[in-house]
This record gives sequence, structure tokens and C-alpha cells, in this order.
Amino acid sequence: MNEQALLHRVGRVDPLSLADYEATGGFEALRLALMWRPERVIEMVKASGLVGRGGAAFPTGVKWEAAARQPVSPKYVVCNADESEPGTFKDRVLMEGDPFALVEAMAICGYAIGAEKGYIYVRGEYPRAYRYLSEAVAQAREAGYLGSRILGSDFSFDIEIRRGAGAYVCGEETALFESIEGKRGTPRQKPPFPTEAGLFGKPTVINNVETFANIPWIVRRGPDWFRSMGPASAPGPKLFCVSGAVRRPGVYEAPMNVTLRQLIEDFAGGLPDGRRVQAVLVGGAAGAFVGPEALDTEMNNESLRQVGATLGSGAVVVVDDRTDMWDVLLRIARFFAHESCGKCYPCQLGTQRQWEILSQARERGLSSGDRERLADLWSTMADASICGLGQTAGSAIQSGLRYVNGRA
Amino acid sequence: MADEVVPEADERIASIISQWAPHGRTGLLPCLQEVQAVTGWLSPEVCRQVAEGLKVPLADVYGVVTFYSLLYEHPVGQTVIRVCDDVPCYLKGSQDVLRALEEHLGIRAGETSADGRVTLEVHPCLGRCERAPFVMVNDEEFGPVTPDEVASLLPDT
Repeated sequence: MNEQALLHRVGRVDPLSLADYEATGGFEALRLALMWRPERVIEMVKASGLVGRGGAAFPTGVKWEAAARQPVSPKYVVCNADESEPGTFKDRVLMEGDPFALVEAMAICGYAIGAEKGYIYVRGEYPRAYRYLSEAVAQAREAGYLGSRILGSDFSFDIEIRRGAGAYVCGEETALFESIEGKRGTPRQKPPFPTEAGLFGKPTVINNVETFANIPWIVRRGPDWFRSMGPASAPGPKLFCVSGAVRRPGVYEAPMNVTLRQLIEDFAGGLPDGRRVQAVLVGGAAGAFVGPEALDTEMNNESLRQVGATLGSGAVVVVDDRTDMWDVLLRIARFFAHESCGKCYPCQLGTQRQWEILSQARERGLSSGDRERLADLWSTMADASICGLGQTAGSAIQSGLRYVNGRA
Repeated sequence: MADEVVPEADERIASIISQWAPHGRTGLLPCLQEVQAVTGWLSPEVCRQVAEGLKVPLADVYGVVTFYSLLYEHPVGQTVIRVCDDVPCYLKGSQDVLRALEEHLGIRAGETSADGRVTLEVHPCLGRCERAPFVMVNDEEFGPVTPDEVASLLPDT
């Protein structure tokens, strides 16, 4: 197993001790970055091959560069800490275990793109993460890592923390902006993309917590170190959230050539005695189910696509052979029907109809008419919903129904 | 709870609103969150005060209050119990925990106890899947929880 990077401090240092953070390399990256030109920081992030860890896998350096090139001020750095994908809890573990790393990474991003203000939007259901981040921001400000003229440079940057209030859709980046702006958290039409017109209509870099957690490492160790881990198409460390029918559920760090089987058996201790894998939900509710035949798939998008899945947030939910898949699928359908924001019809109506059809089909079996209507809903939601919620709302159901049929 | 809004609470609400007033609309969500932490829920009167203080139309304040599941436009108990019933918790027995809580409290999910003290909710994934089945009692975290220990999760009354 490789050296741990992202989880390096988690559970090993006092998360609220700035001294612990500094003693383990903390704020070295910010010091380094401030000695370089901003363009060099962006070049390093681009050269590393880091892509967003929230699910969309967009190249982080390209995003930073696009925002940096906008001849507009002010600009903003936003951390998407509204983790609410079912089965996903890695960002919470990072925020509760290593909150200063997020502060440092956001300051580096602010320097690179020319922003002086950052926002962290933390999930409302994560009160401890909110407390720890608030404490870390206050300590960093006190010590001169935030505020005006950081570490004697010309660069000024500060962070404000906002709490979400229970809305899955606010994890969608433009809905998150709307929420910070004091509106209902509904997504915007894209384009324009956030790098051009994001928070308050200004150029904005928005990255996931785990994406930011990679930044201090890339700055300190360099792109080659980062690229030395995992497959060439998906370099760097990744956090995987393994839950469901395993002995040791938890967050595990591995390069993205780790297989699903290794995550389940080696990291999470396998299934309880006498149980076998029926299906595995990869990527959360917005992801897809794969069967036992896919266990040797490597956990990167290129490999996962071949078995009809995507990496998404890195969630791995193991469903054993004693579980009725109807219960699982109805929960996912209920989740999307509940969380659809109602802004666009394909998603608002589609998620409701999906739930209704499945609820009825459970009682009387899935008819060919049901199948036709579901197929129609899935393609309509995927093609015509304005954000990822509706676009992916049928994915887990569609892939999971295979296992329902297998049992029937 | 409405009957606990005493003059002292009025002062705290006024102070929260005046603190967020300079932010205008972008202060709306944090202002509502802080006010609700005092009042327990967001009554029509409180929403009106926030609207005036932040200079946001009352309809828009309601738009925000009704959008977010952690903001309440009706009274809830001082203790709000949130049972995660998403897939990872379901796989670890959240249904049994929920049933035990319903029996113990004598109410169903989505209801508030007759004395107004406790509200029981089923919540979408709470993000503690490694501690499934997971329950939050206000800001306190419990998991994994077994059905026979649900009584111990409640605050002493």
C-alpha cells in the first residue's frame, strides 16, 4: 500500500492544533506558492493531471486557468463542502480530521487565480465539520495565514463559512451559489460556467473538499510525485467510501488502479460470514450498480465505463445477497423524488413518476408497459434536465433493475 | 417553541437580524439559521422581522424557508431526532431502529410528540455511512445504533 497523503493527518494529529498542522508540513505549500508567480502554481496543478473529486472529474488546473484569465474582479474561491451524495462521507472525514489543509489549499487557489475572498459551503448536517472549520479559519487568521498581506506578501485572502440547510441539490455548483446569495438553491442554466460568471456573477473557482486536499501536496511534492500514483489516465490518490454489507466500513485512500474487490475485501474486510455480493452501487445514488462479475474492475472512469458505471464521488455501497433489491431501489427513487428542486419539468415530474412506477411494480411485477415508460423517463431526464440531479436520477435504478429481475 | 419566546429571545432575534442586515439578501440563510436556533422554528412574525431587517421581500423569505428541509415553518420539538434511512443505513438495519423509536415515542416519523417536546424525522443520507445505522439527536451523533438502545439517545426530561 502506498504512503497516505490525503489521510496523512486524519486521526493522527489534533485537528484543531495549528502547531500539529505546521509540524506535519502544514502551510509549507502556501509559503512556497507565494514565492512563485501565480501562473506557475496553475501550471503545476495542470501538469499534475488532478481532476475534480466531487464526481464530474473536470481538470482542476484548466478550471483555475480559466478563472485566472478573466479580466474581472472580484473573483471568488468556493469550496463545495455540501457532501450529500448517499454513501459518500470522505469530505466530512477530511474536514473533521484535517481542517487546516482546506484553509491552506483555498488560500493557494486564491493566490493562483487572483481572488481575495473564499467561501466554504458546509453541509447543514455536519455541525462538527462546521465548528472545526470555523476554528481553523479563526486560528489561521490569527497566525497570519489568512487576512491582509499574508506572510508578508502582497496577497490578501479571507474565508467565510456558510452552512447548508438540508438540500441535496445545493451540491450542484450553481445551486450552491444561489444558496449563498440568499435564494432558493436551484441550479442555473450553463453556460455561462462558474469560471466566467459564478458566485455573485463573478469568475469563480469551485472545487470539492477532496480536490482541494490534493493541492498542498501537489505544490510541495510536484506533479511528478502526483503522477507516480495510479494509472496514467487517472493519477493521484483517491478516497473511497466503502459502506453497506462489509465488516469494516470507512474511508480508504488508494490509487485509482485499485480494484473494487480489493476495496471490499482487503480494505473493508469483506462481507460478513456466509454472505455474498449481490450488487455494488458505485458513485452513490447518482451512480450505477455493478454485479459480482465486475469486482475486478479498476476504480477509474476509463475502466468503470466498460461495466456501465462511473467513479462519481468514490462511494462504494455493497449490497449482499440477502437484501431485497426492491427495498434498495425504492429508497433511491424516493430520494430523488424528494430532492428534485422542481425547477425543470423533466426532473420534477420524472423523479416522481419513476418512484410511482417502481412502487406499483413492486406489488404487481414490472410490466412491459412499465419498462417502456421508465425507458422514456430515463432518456428524457438524462437529455433534458438542467442539472446533474435529473440527468443521473435514473442511472442507479436502470442498472439495479437487472438484479431485481435476476431474483424474480 | 413559540411559548418560549420570552423578551430575552426577542432581543436576541433583533440582535441577530441587525448583525446580518448589512449583508442584505446574501445574509438571509445564515440569519434564518441563527434565528431558528433561538426560536426553534420560523413563525410568520419572525419571517416578517427578518424580511424587514434584511430588506428582502417576505415572499422570498418564505421561498427560502420552504425550500430547505432544516428550516421549519411550523413548530417542532426542542429535540429533533433524525434517523438516516438511506441505502447504507438501511442495509445495516435502520428500519428496526426507526420502528423502535416510533414505539418508544408513540409517534410516527414526521410527527411531533403530544407534549411538543420531540420531533421524529426520517432524513436523506446523513453522511455517516461508516457508523450505520446512524441517528442524530439535534447536533449529537449516534451510530451504530441498535434498536434496544434508542431510549438512551434521548435527553433526560
